[in-house]
Amino acid sequence: MATAHLETTIAPEKIAAMYLQYEVEQFYTHEAALLDHQRFEEWVDLFTDDTAYFMPIRRTVPRRNLSREFTQPGEMAFFDDDKATLVGRVQKLGTGTAWAEDPPSRTRHLVTNVRIIEDLGTELTVETCFHLYRTRLKSEIDEWIGRREDVLRRTEEGFRIARRDIYLDQTVLLSQNLSNFF
Amino acid sequence: MTIEAPGTTAHLESLVNVATGELDRRIFSDEEIFELEMQHIFGRAWLFLCHETQIPKKGDFFEAPMGKDNVLVVRQRDRSIKALLNTCTHRGNAVCRAEEGNVRNFMCTYHGWTFGLDGELVGVPGMSDFYRDELDRTKHPLRKVAQLDNYKGFIFATMDPQAPPLLEFLGRTGRIAIDLLAERGDIEARPGVQKFTLNCNWKFTADNAFDYYHPQITHISAQAVGMIPSADVNDTGGAKTDEGKALGVQRLPTDLDTLVALGEYGHAISGPSLDSMLRTLPPEMHELVTWRRNPGPLAALGPVGSRFAGHPHLFPTAWFTMDAQISLRVPRSAGVTEVWWFSFKDRNESPEEQKAQLGRQIHSFGPAGFLEQEDGENWSQSTAQTRGGASRDIPQLLKMGLGRGKIIHEDGVARIEAPVNEHAQLWTYLSWLAWVKGTSWDELRSATTPGDYI
Repeated sequence: MATAHLETTIAPEKIAAMYLQYEVEQFYTHEAALLDHQRFEEWVDLFTDDTAYFMPIRRTVPRRNLSREFTQPGEMAFFDDDKATLVGRVQKLGTGTAWAEDPPSRTRHLVTNVRIIEDLGTELTVETCFHLYRTRLKSEIDEWIGRREDVLRRTEEGFRIARRDIYLDQTVLLSQNLSNFF
Repeated sequence: MTIEAPGTTAHLESLVNVATGELDRRIFSDEEIFELEMQHIFGRAWLFLCHETQIPKKGDFFEAPMGKDNVLVVRQRDRSIKALLNTCTHRGNAVCRAEEGNVRNFMCTYHGWTFGLDGELVGVPGMSDFYRDELDRTKHPLRKVAQLDNYKGFIFATMDPQAPPLLEFLGRTGRIAIDLLAERGDIEARPGVQKFTLNCNWKFTADNAFDYYHPQITHISAQAVGMIPSADVNDTGGAKTDEGKALGVQRLPTDLDTLVALGEYGHAISGPSLDSMLRTLPPEMHELVTWRRNPGPLAALGPVGSRFAGHPHLFPTAWFTMDAQISLRVPRSAGVTEVWWFSFKDRNESPEEQKAQLGRQIHSFGPAGFLEQEDGENWSQSTAQTRGGASRDIPQLLKMGLGRGKIIHEDGVARIEAPVNEHAQLWTYLSWLAWVKGTSWDELRSATTPGDYI
């Protein structure tokens, strides 16, 4: 009876939207698990070969100058990586001599507020909020909270990240480095 | 062992031993020494503020640190530049809370006192009703730095009216440091200053600029993935991991041919010679330094300056890289330092060249840089161990090449040619001692004028 009730009261496109939301959220949960389990080779495979991974610099500016709050592509940034550079970062972690992550940081990627902004069929634009919590050595704690805007491409293997823009809620970074992925 | 009273000249002199290449680790964590540094170094030295292209339009401003003071570098209506203390002359509130931007004037959000771009007090709410027109506005402008000057677009200021002119402070070595960036072409600052925070003493960041001994270990992972070239020479020297595995340590191919310049007031350059650098760069990378053969740069750098390809560092805290960046180290307390990266491009270069350089700048240094990711923890852990009662009694060692630094004086540059060494670091601390003692400018210059050996 419950099924019949659903069919009569929820339009099929709403069911489809819910399923898409579920798929997207499952993708991000999986991605976060790969990062927090240090499975970086699998993580980097989630990016397309033509991907762009970009974290601009944020600045405290007067409200009327807000258009200048973030640097733009082509200007300075914290990350401005193509696929080869991202793979290079993963290889660096795998050398056994990347001291910034040896002993490894303990990270937890909490991904939330998942909003599908646009669905163009082959690609989706998705906004997420994240909280990356990192502890290091005996008592160091770093936290980054921010917003990501991804372009997710539908492929035969599932979603792949064709672009990621990462907007941190910090201007002067409070951490000694950014040796983790966002 | 005699323990001298803290802060006295005798005490300070006991902290740096140039003859043995040993430092007292307390200089990295003692808050009293930090306050002396604020007073005698950051309160007196010419400090780099920003580049003029960061504030091209009238009303553009950039907030720069000078010790614990915050200074607004402001483009004026007549295109000149002024540097004003960011503190209201009424009750002290910051008159500007942004890091950079564009304004018509600066209004304090406490009581509304309003200052023009030139710092003049132009508005006081209640001037007639509350102050009965008895306040002399001309007496309360935003305070200016004591001296402001511009060397080829790079803006410097000092809080000391007695400081020698900027050109004299820089000297030949300091000017070469800046010329290695300024003479590249038509230089423009790229938008975006990377700023991040290290739990370390600022002097670790300063002396590391000269340290060509650490890349082969600290940055071995960047070397392994091809970010920096390595020599065929495998020289582990017994370096083993904690599981007993010999590290495949490959020293840099330039390490046997380095060039050091020691300058007045503590400036220095250290690292590979240009010739040795060129021998190790693949041919397609040689064009990165072709600008140095142009007549302008050759004339500015001179026969000796043209040979440097290492790291120039202006005392106390400005490191100029070989790829058009400045790493400014901003001391916040004895144990906290911010790093600010300023990055530049040459407007005459092709878009492709500019883009390639941007990539190298972002991927080498900064908090996510393949190289600099690893540096912060070395310095924060080194700083932390200077706080232990027993650990801080162990001297800090700068003994590499000790006593072998034969100084050659030529073209106004005091240089040393030797394999990788610690001469420039020792020079930094010798100069630091002269500064922190608070001696006169004449004595300071004399104490930091290179002799025949270090």
